[in-house]
Parts: sequence; structure tokens; C-alpha cells
Amino acid sequence: MTGMGDRILGLFLLVLAVAYGWVAQQWPEPFGGTEGVGPETFPTMLAVVLVVGSLYLMIKPDADAQWPVGKSALELLISIVVLVVYALLLEPLGFIISTTLAVGALSWRMGAPVTNSFVTGLISAVVVFGLFNYGLSLSLPNGLLGGF
Amino acid sequence: METIGFLMEGFAVALTPYNLMFALFGAFVGTLIGCLPGLGPANGVAILIPLAFTLGLPPETAMILLTSVYAGAMYGGRISSILLNIPGDEPAMMTCLDGYPMAQKGRAADALAISAIASFAGSLIGTIGLIMLAPVLARFALTFGPAEYFALFLLAFATLGGITGKNPMKTVIAATLGIMISTVGIDISTGTQRYTGGVLELYEGIDFILAIVGLFAISELLFFVESRMGKGRSKVEVGKLTLSFKEVVTTIPTQLRGGLLGFVAGVLPGAGASLGSFISYTLEKSVLGKKGRFGEGDIRGVVAPEAGNNGAASGALVPMLTLGVPGSGTTAVLLAMLISLNITPGPLMFTQNADIVWGVIAALLIGNVLLLVLNIPMIGVFVRLLSVPPMYLLPIVTMVAFVGIYSISHSTFDLYFMIVFGVGGFILRKLEIPMVPIILGLLLGPEMEKNLGHALILSDGDWSTLWSSPLAIGLWLVAGLGLVLPTLFGPILRRRMRTAIKEGPVSD
Repeated sequence: MTGMGDRILGLFLLVLAVAYGWVAQQWPEPFGGTEGVGPETFPTMLAVVLVVGSLYLMIKPDADAQWPVGKSALELLISIVVLVVYALLLEPLGFIISTTLAVGALSWRMGAPVTNSFVTGLISAVVVFGLFNYGLSLSLPNGLLGGF
Repeated sequence: METIGFLMEGFAVALTPYNLMFALFGAFVGTLIGCLPGLGPANGVAILIPLAFTLGLPPETAMILLTSVYAGAMYGGRISSILLNIPGDEPAMMTCLDGYPMAQKGRAADALAISAIASFAGSLIGTIGLIMLAPVLARFALTFGPAEYFALFLLAFATLGGITGKNPMKTVIAATLGIMISTVGIDISTGTQRYTGGVLELYEGIDFILAIVGLFAISELLFFVESRMGKGRSKVEVGKLTLSFKEVVTTIPTQLRGGLLGFVAGVLPGAGASLGSFISYTLEKSVLGKKGRFGEGDIRGVVAPEAGNNGAASGALVPMLTLGVPGSGTTAVLLAMLISLNITPGPLMFTQNADIVWGVIAALLIGNVLLLVLNIPMIGVFVRLLSVPPMYLLPIVTMVAFVGIYSISHSTFDLYFMIVFGVGGFILRKLEIPMVPIILGLLLGPEMEKNLGHALILSDGDWSTLWSSPLAIGLWLVAGLGLVLPTLFGPILRRRMRTAIKEGPVSD
């Protein structure tokens, strides 16, 4: 069946819209009542619009996109993991080490030779760190290189 | 006359050495952003916002910086169009048609020089148009009540997909998602907690800057990873400049026509820079008819689209500055900067923040002179940077995005959030859900709800107040047309743009 992507998205949005609209109905009436518009009025309107939109998507989906499979999908997953790990290690390891690793890993996975990647990572990390900490006096985390 | 006085004050703001320095820096970075692969203007401006913010720049300086970047990006887009037949950004698409053949004939330097001049002329015409039209429109917009604003926001969303947009329903869905994200947090008028799930970080709502950077920068990185286009492009020789003064003079009528048409396309909702350059190119082709050799490297075929898209870029600032309703992705990002500077965009800005508005307009004029000066002698530098492979560039850009977001709040929570937006943006872009309406929804959602509330309070809860004035009805009608017209004319226009490009000699 063509248009599976849009249909799945439509179903997801429908669930989202109903949940979003339902939550809005649960809020207590604000103190003193409301004049015309309560906190739930606008979200309820949005939920209705999204229900209509999601139904349309499911009934009249566009042709499917090319989804990444196999190696491309794996590379994507690796990149996302690298980003999450970067965010995770930024404070404990400090800016320079974590950035060298993250930029290096990303360039390497995008096709650059290993040494070039990590050298690019190190240089960009040191330059940005220097620029921010000394040029603009905004502190980026030092981490392991505490006395730096 | 009043306008000239304001403009002079604007120049006084923009010409201080401090602001001039940022305008120069912005113009340079903007040209880079425009010509580098994988860094569109909206994306580039988005990454710079957190930096401008954390640097603690005064509002007028921050806006001058970003407007110069915006103007610069429009100049930069043409470089790879001409040299490589690959448009740096969407509006530069039409420049490929005659620019690349010119480069193949060994006149790359001439094509680059004349397109820089055309960009300057287009921008100048557009900015003059902006100076004349904006105050008038702002005064008119003062008559808008909350109901009219509500209808105007709807119009902005409805026309955002543009006349060439594919599926209007996807624009609607995108806008709704954006507005829904903006409702997270404590409701300003009643204090009710909405969709926070008790998470402390969500009480103040989701910061639209991190959403924008995630949706643009992170999803762009993922696109490059997926398509494995990391290798970059080979270096190109530019050659010597042989452009004669006489040749420049002969293109003046083309420059005027292109700039004017582009400006009109930029101001109108739903048109934008891509259509601006397309219209100017086709008009030029029909005006000159057989006298021109379009598609084979006619110099006017380079001038027309470049004047058109730069005129449109200035034109697009008109609705953004006067109504607070941007018509394109990049102007939406500029609006984000204004909002985060605590400036309420809209007609009142012309009276309350006159120094900023006129400073920005003056900066646009100065920026253009700087860009012209930068672009002719320094073209070699930009050309060399064009061959930096994305596999080094994009990871560094991503890192800069991380630094920017981290430096706003010093919390890694925001970084995770940004990654979530990036992955979500990637999936939605794959499904052809446009990003710009999401961002506009995020920005305009709170204003829209506020105006709805005010309108209904004024009318004692009578909903018909939303379409009771002639002006409001007109806005609703245009909004309706904005959704219906693309389904009727979109396919035709899109086909024409495609065939126009196919007719041109295609490389490889």
C-alpha cells in the first residue's frame, strides 16, 4: 500500500490530538470563572483542527518518501547516539574533550579519514573554547581539564 | 519628510563603529552561510541567535547583525549557482540558468561580478520600497483590533506554504503542531499549568530558540548523514574579470524591473523570494524576446533573478516589521530574535522602538554597500571556502549550535530537548511536513491566543466578533484563498518552474 508514511503519521497525530484535547478538558475552572476564554478554549480549537488534518492525511496520503534502510539507517542512529552522548558528557568531561570526541566521531562517520576528523575536532574545540572563555568571557565547562 | 528624519536617526544608530563592525561581520558571515553547502539562510540565522543573545548585545546591534547576515545570505546563494550549477539556496535556483553557462564559457568572474551588482540594485530598490511602504502599512495596522489580528495570523499561516506549496493540509498540520508546542507552560491569563506534566523545566514553556535550532541545524546534519554527501565539491577556477562598464550600463533596465518585481513578490503573502526571482527571469525573457540569448549565458539572465530575489528579501521584511507576521522562514527567525529581545513586533514598534526599526533599515542599506565592496574583491575567498567538504563543516556547525544553546541556560536539559526537536524535525521533513509553519506557530501561538481572548472579552463571548468587521472578513477571505489557490495553481506553476530549469543546459 502506498502512502504508509502519511497514514502512520496521521494515526499518530490523531492520537496526539485526542489526548491533547482531552487533557485540556480536565483543567479546573480558574478562580473567578472565565469570561469567554478559559485556558482550555484555544487548545480545544487546536485539537479539533489537528483531528481534521490527521483524518485527511489518513484518507488522502501522499506518495511515500525514501526511508533510510540498512547502513544509512545505522549511520543515522549512530549520529543521534553521538549527539546524545555529547550532551551527556559535556559537563563531566568538559568542553574540549567532549567536543573533540563528538565532532571527530561525526566527521569520521560522514566519511572523513580518522586522524583528520579528530584533529578537526580538537582544533575547533580549542578555538571555540578560547573564543568563548577568554574572548567573550562566557564559561564553557572545564571538566577534567579543571586547571586549564 | 518625517520618514527621512527617522532614516537619518537610523543611520546615526547604524553608523556607530560598534554597530558598523557587527554589520560588516554579519555581511561576511551571511555570504558564507549563503554559499556553503547545507547551511540555508534560515538555518544560519537561527544558529547565530543564541550567540547574539549570550553576547549580551544591545537589541539594535543584535538586529543589525542578523539583518546583515540575512542580506548577505541572499548574496551568497548565487556563488554556487554560477560556479557549480547547484543553487546555494532555493531563490538562487534561477541564477543557474544563465550563470552556469556563462561560467562554462569562461566568464565566471564576470557572472559573479554582475550578479553582485544586480543583488545590490535589487536590494537597494527593495529597501527603498520598504522605507516608503512600511510606515504607511504600520499606520494602517494601528486600526487593527484583536479580531483582525486573529484573522491576520490565520492568513499568515494559510499563505505560508506559498502559491507553489505542495500540500496545504500539511502546512495546516505543521502550523497546528507549532502552536500546540507553544501552549506548553503556565497560561499567562489564568495561571493554569498546561501540559507541563509537573516538569519544572517546562513551567516557562519551551524555548522557541532551541526548537528552531533543533528543527533546522540538527535535522540538516541528519539529512547529510543519510544522503552521505559529505565529500564536497571540487575546486573551481574563476578566471579574470572582463566585464566592461558599457555592459553593466546595458543591464540597468533589467536591474530596475527585476528589483521592483521582486519587492512586490516579497511583500505579498505567499510569494517570497523564489517566486520573485522566477517572475523577474520570465518577464525579462518575454520582454527581450529574441534579442536575448537566455539559457546560453545571457548576462541579463543572471541580472534578472538576482535583482529579483534580493528585492524580495527586502520586501519580505515589510510584513515582518509592520505587522509582526513574517512571510518566509528567515524572516520568521528574525522575528524570533525580536521576541526574545522582548520587543513586541507590529505597528507599535515603529513608534516605541523607532531606533531599532530605522537602525535595521539603515543597516540594510549600509550592509548592501559593504556586501558589494566585499563581494567583488573577496570573491576568491568565498570560492575557496565553497570547497570545504560538509563532512568537516556540518559537525562544527552542530557543535556551534550546542554551544549556543548551552550558553543560554547552562543546562544540558535544553540540549536533549534540542536533539529531540532535531530528530522529530528530520522525520517530519521526510514526510514533507514543512518546518517554517511549525516555527511560525511556536512564535505566533501565544499572540494568537491572547488576541482571541481579548476579542471575545470585548464581545462578551460572542464568537461572531471574529468576522464582523469588513477588514476581518477580507483577511479571512484571503486566508481561505491562500489555502485553496495552491491546490489549483500550484501544480501548474511548479511545472513551469521545472520546465524552465530543464530547458537550460544541464550539466553532467
